Amino acid sequence: MRLTSESDAEVEEFRAEFSAFIDANVPGAAEAVPASQSTADVPPWAADWQRKLFDAGWLLPGNPPEFGGRNATLPQQLAHLEELSRRRINHSFNPQGLGIIAASILTFGTEEQKHRWAVPILRAEMTAALGMSEPEAGSDLASLRTRAVLDGEHFTVNGQKVWTSGAHDADVLLTFVRTDPDAPKHKGISVLLIPTDTEGVVRKPFGCLTDPDDLDFNEVFFTDVKVPRENLVGPLNGGWGVAHGSLGHERTLLWLHYAERLEDLIQDAPCAEEWYATLQMDFQALKLLGYRQLGEDRNEAELSVLKLFGSEAVRSAALCALEARGADGLVHPELTGPLNHMGMPSFTASWFERYARSFGGTIAGGTSEIQRNIIAERILGLPR
Amino acid sequence: MEFEFDEDQQLLQRLVRETVTKSRSLPEDQLWNTYQELGWLEAPPVELAIVLEELGYVADPTPFLASSTWFAPLAGRLPRGSGTGVFDGAGRFVLDADRADEIALLTGDGVVVVDGADLDPQRVDIFDATLHVAHVQAPDLVRDVPDLALMGLAITTVGSCRRILDLVVGHVRQRVQFGRPIGSFQAVKHKAADMYVAIERARALAYFSALTIAEDDPRRTRAASMAKAAAGECQRLCFQDGYQLFGAMGYTWENELQIHLKRAKAGDLLLGTAAEHRKALLR
Ligand SMILES: Cc1cc2nc3c(=O)[nH]c(=O)nc-3n(C[C@H](O)[C@H](O)[C@H](O)COP(=O)(O)OP(=O)(O)OC[C@H]3O[C@@H](n4cnc5c(N)ncnc54)[C@H](O)[C@@H]3O)c2cc1C
Repeated sequence: MRLTSESDAEVEEFRAEFSAFIDANVPGAAEAVPASQSTADVPPWAADWQRKLFDAGWLLPGNPPEFGGRNATLPQQLAHLEELSRRRINHSFNPQGLGIIAASILTFGTEEQKHRWAVPILRAEMTAALGMSEPEAGSDLASLRTRAVLDGEHFTVNGQKVWTSGAHDADVLLTFVRTDPDAPKHKGISVLLIPTDTEGVVRKPFGCLTDPDDLDFNEVFFTDVKVPRENLVGPLNGGWGVAHGSLGHERTLLWLHYAERLEDLIQDAPCAEEWYATLQMDFQALKLLGYRQLGEDRNEAELSVLKLFGSEAVRSAALCALEARGADGLVHPELTGPLNHMGMPSFTASWFERYARSFGGTIAGGTSEIQRNIIAERILGLPR
Repeated sequence: MEFEFDEDQQLLQRLVRETVTKSRSLPEDQLWNTYQELGWLEAPPVELAIVLEELGYVADPTPFLASSTWFAPLAGRLPRGSGTGVFDGAGRFVLDADRADEIALLTGDGVVVVDGADLDPQRVDIFDATLHVAHVQAPDLVRDVPDLALMGLAITTVGSCRRILDLVVGHVRQRVQFGRPIGSFQAVKHKAADMYVAIERARALAYFSALTIAEDDPRRTRAASMAKAAAGECQRLCFQDGYQLFGAMGYTWENELQIHLKRAKAGDLLLGTAAEHRKALLR
């Protein structure tokens, strides 16, 4: 245990190099129009930025160069994300495309799939959305019912997804489907890449609670959609493994996203009340637990501790920040942090919106209740 | 930053765990001799935290905590025998003052070390009958709590909380109601999970405090307040939910749980509660 480590000098050099790259290349506010409208809307200027990062090996530095990286170590990847977050810069305006869909294809896809789908997503030539949840399958993802029948060289897909963030702006959907209805529910799921312009795919965006015109959520309907067999990612009926592994390294660093939101709140909501001290403690503790998690041989289930702790800390700090404003907290829309064309506008939106959106962290990607179940059963060993 | 124990630290943790398990039933003075022989009192801050966490886990009855984290940082040396320190400006509720061979006093003229008996300390009756706390009277006392004392109490309290959670987990796995172990009920599981998260948080901040003291980092004073506040918050949850999940069994003298509940609660009340340290962080 030490405050500094041997690799620090190397990491700092890496950080300085990336920092210089950002200074030289980040788009200015005048360039950054129009703004992105959804998590799969990547305007041309944002695509240029992402491509520059890819070509220079700064997009996902942990990847090999052919996939936008430079084989960086975990501490270097952490420094990379810290540098982006410190400046509140997005490396991609299609975050799930980069972090989940391309990552899944790189982990589970064939060489051909990596070049046909993952590389274009990483280079912002294609955008992607994640089709997991269904009206009847939320926390119980394994009960999903969208059906795919393999017939020769094609799957025929029928069913519905919901909450599919950015689907209306996405070129392709990573879609979880049931391919064996007779197998136990975890064993009959497969994953298909479905281009959104395929006949029979209908996307219906709908608003979120803060603004009916803020369209990111979608319902997606599939009616006799023909998908080539080669679009199967991972083994047939092996989709549950993809669901679990789909976040790959991203999952290891997910806590950093909550640390970023906590840091934003520390800067944007200075306050002399006790919750502000709690906020600083949560930030410090989350970083410590996150660093520790980077070590070897950690129990996978401990990622649930980071997700639960991080997302709940952000939510309660955002609530305190809202309450601290009293009646001024009613104002909406409002700018509550430094104007930032490179980040998500929601991170500097009205105090109410920042609080309301913090529930994304406690609901999506496995709710807090599900994380508590995992901790109780897989860390503490309580009976199911 | 490296926030995992290195090999030597892991080894120490294992040794401490084995030692305290083996010697649990030894009388106090023999325990004290064992700790001294093993050189634990001289351990540097992170290693000291490792020892204290395990001593907290077993509700250690010796004056180890006061000697290593109250006396030593004031006097700049270990006591001859056992010791404690007075740095709260009032001389009230001094840990182990009634049985300390030496007492270090923080005064306007700096630190003065006196024989314990010279101060005529008065032991106070408190809810934790195994914990020694006394008032002393001395002139010209100054308030300045050493970071090490806050860290020491924090990690000791984390140790108590870990023990509470382990007892709870053991209990809810074996206690059957409505035909199933109560640990299979989700209301029970979620309380246990939240206790676990609170412990992880407090434990991380306590070791961070130890680390900043070890390296004399400028963040050490804030880190010590964070550690003490987080331990207090953790204790609050573990006391409440731990006690609740034991049902009426937790209400009894017989049950081992009460020992650790009291240690944990005392750990928060001494040297400033969580709320006081949160306020300190805002200054
Ligand atoms: C902002 C946002 C973006 C999203 N983006 C996407 C996306 O791009 N693609 C996608 O596929 N999905 C997406 N989702 C959906 C998300 O994955 C689901 O919301 C999540 O899995 C929870 O499912 P649900 O909403 O149906 O809630 P439910 O599963 O119906 O849960 C409702 C409540 O019941 C509780 N509950 C359920 N089961 C249990 C249990 N076993 N024990 C205890 N409590 C339980 C939950 O914790 C929750 O509090 C998004 C959600 C949000 C909020």
